[in-house]
Amino acid sequence: MTGDRNPFRGLRLDAVDATRRRFLTVTGAAMGLAVVGSLPGLASADGSAVELTQLPEYPFTLGVASGDPLSDSVVLWTRLAPRPLEPFGGLGPRPVMVLWQVAEDPSFRRIVRSGSARARREDSYSVHIDVQGLRPWREYWYRFRVGRHVSPVGRTRTAPAAGDSPAALRFAFASCQAYWEGFYTAYRDLAAREHDVVFHLGDYLYEYSVGVGAGVRQQQLPADTLRETVTLDEYRGRYALYKLDADLQAAHASAPWIVTMDDHEVENNWADEIPEGNTPTPTRNEFLVRRANAFRAWWEHMPVRLSQQPIGPDVQLYRRFQYGDLVRFNLLDTRQYRDDQAAGDGSDPPNPGSLDPNRTITGAEQERWLLDGFAERSARWEVLAHQTAIAQLDTRAGADVIVPMDTWDGYVASRQRVLGGAAERGVRNLVSIAGDLHRSVVSELKADYADPSAPVVGTEFVGTSISSGRDGMDNDEGGLTILAENPHVKFSNFQRGYVTVDVTPDQWLADYRVVDRVIVPGGTVTTRTRLAVEDGDPSIHVLGGQA
Amino acid sequence: MRRRQIAVVAGSATVLGLLTAVASTAARPDDDPVRLTATPESVQVVGLPCLPSSFRLGMTNVGSADLYADVELAAGGPVVLDRGLVSSWLPAWDPDHTVTARVGVTVPRDAEPGTYEVRATTDGAEVAVPVEVLPQPPKGDGDNLALGEQAVASSTHANFDVCGAVDGNTNSEEWDTLTGWNDGTSGAFPDTYDVVLAAPAQLTRVETWTLDSTRYPAARYGLRDFDVQVRTGGAWQTVHEVRGNTAGRVTSTFAPVTADAVRIVGLASNNRDYSRLVEVQAFTD
Repeated sequence: MTGDRNPFRGLRLDAVDATRRRFLTVTGAAMGLAVVGSLPGLASADGSAVELTQLPEYPFTLGVASGDPLSDSVVLWTRLAPRPLEPFGGLGPRPVMVLWQVAEDPSFRRIVRSGSARARREDSYSVHIDVQGLRPWREYWYRFRVGRHVSPVGRTRTAPAAGDSPAALRFAFASCQAYWEGFYTAYRDLAAREHDVVFHLGDYLYEYSVGVGAGVRQQQLPADTLRETVTLDEYRGRYALYKLDADLQAAHASAPWIVTMDDHEVENNWADEIPEGNTPTPTRNEFLVRRANAFRAWWEHMPVRLSQQPIGPDVQLYRRFQYGDLVRFNLLDTRQYRDDQAAGDGSDPPNPGSLDPNRTITGAEQERWLLDGFAERSARWEVLAHQTAIAQLDTRAGADVIVPMDTWDGYVASRQRVLGGAAERGVRNLVSIAGDLHRSVVSELKADYADPSAPVVGTEFVGTSISSGRDGMDNDEGGLTILAENPHVKFSNFQRGYVTVDVTPDQWLADYRVVDRVIVPGGTVTTRTRLAVEDGDPSIHVLGGQA
Repeated sequence: MRRRQIAVVAGSATVLGLLTAVASTAARPDDDPVRLTATPESVQVVGLPCLPSSFRLGMTNVGSADLYADVELAAGGPVVLDRGLVSSWLPAWDPDHTVTARVGVTVPRDAEPGTYEVRATTDGAEVAVPVEVLPQPPKGDGDNLALGEQAVASSTHANFDVCGAVDGNTNSEEWDTLTGWNDGTSGAFPDTYDVVLAAPAQLTRVETWTLDSTRYPAARYGLRDFDVQVRTGGAWQTVHEVRGNTAGRVTSTFAPVTADAVRIVGLASNNRDYSRLVEVQAFTD
């Protein structure tokens, strides 16, 4: 906390009510019918629709978060859960009033925005505050309150104004955090290094059982953590479990996050309306219901706007974030619109399916959106922030080429259209950041890997997992094979960690942070290597460590 | 996608866990549109730790707008459920789509035989599921003392239940993910499968049933090498070393020993991948 004995001093409840009425006037309309009494029968006789202003137990057990920064706004998030592993966090059924404040300083002496929101059971008592009217490209601090309980303080930062030319941007990206396979030590390190923004590129949670004893965590947990998540209550419970981690909470509180999702937020290797082969929801209808449940729980637990609230089994995930004329981030969705994996999924030689010009990993509409954005050439660094590797990754030693069907290798035509499209539209510096592989792989991107003379059109920085895959090692056999078989791959590592990137107009500098051990708490985090890309030259320079 | 426009509109306005009638058709009710069912309609359960029962809760939205439903579950008497809540998106698809979820039902060992009730409720809908608690099976001479007792394994394949090899079903032809145990570490041995007895007993015989069906004969898929152990005074003692086995059923007889648990130590299977057990039985005769 901040040392201020009464952090909400001066925030009078009548003033809050006025703010709240305004808040509801704006967002209530957008959300449908959130105003009490506007629906016949809702103001029930037992008073269950009347909101609580006090809670007996501390409700901020899942931490705070902010996200999706724009130049004048940012989303603040928390979820009230006095008993986080119980249904609805131990609350219900009445809504709870949550107060929030945004200040220009961590001591909350200069509060610039404040208000209240209702945490409602149908949202798992989460709140998503889309704070407006902030100044561009500056830090803010925020906190929540319910009655006498005050949340931890979060730090956030808005994006630069449109047309602004920031001198530098520091961001991090992370992915893949199987709860039972490792401690989130990497996040503790991430939280301690000031980032302007943090990207999560998918597999925030896994649908699988965490196992008896929760693997390396050695925790006795409620029985529902042993079930594969299918229903909404199960996905909600799993998010609560993951978000109880103090290191993950610290990382969320350290910077705004921009979050997408990959497969495991729903189910391993799903593709559009098609579940994986071995699934508890084998029919299309069963899977769509599961997808709707998974998306709903994702929305409830992520610091995203109402525009990312799912409508049944559909959610708008792909979106853009502009950091002046320095960087544009294109956050992609390569799950919801993709064709089913070719050749029955798995790893295979390039085949008629993977090479089919009519198949897509993005869907036609998203691809057009992306290519149209390229044509705007709005920033010096055009970044694809997304799920899995675009670069070809031959995983078989020797003459055979065996590539994964779940990555862009299974959608060669998409790779050609997107990378070729960027080159045709004169994108100055195309950079891909991704996850999914549980290994770090840094590659030079070509639109056509079958053509040895094809030019390099961009660079790709795949980050390893936070915890999935346990400790790993510097390079396993798979990593050595990838290095040997793919001359466009310039760096490979099989430890856990994340990546910090410092971007200036002249240079992209990626710092691969790795953890020596994640199966025990308190591992040591170090820089494994730094890699640079110079403006206008899509080649990768290894600055430190071994390639 | 094929969903009707009405559902898309109403989906975003579904708040407060109730159906919001943004639009409706005469044929589909918009008040209390959720129907609940249970399959089977009643459940039988025995007060043993590894003989779980279950039913599938069915939730059907017969209204005209998609909604999210919370179904609360409550059990009477000694009945224990593995969940108190099932929440799901319920689409207003036509024809109706029933979303189902498994609800596990157990009772403690000392549960009084009789019929109790599980009740599932949501706004405007309810289903009652009678749960019949059966008497305990006899556990004297000639009876299988391992039946339904707590099983603990070194690992269990994600598709299997650890209780699968104490469920009383020795039929390999019914081998699937429920009636049988398969360890979770391919190619890694040893694997252990323990059954903790309700009380110490003077054991003389253990029957080990490994996978042996027409499709999966023991000579190819069954346990080849394994030790049968019993626990006495907190220590495991080997009573039979089985090597080179190709049979589906292996009988181990030994001098009477007072033990409170039985363990099968899988050392190798005939195809070298997994340890597979259909049933483990322990006797005093």
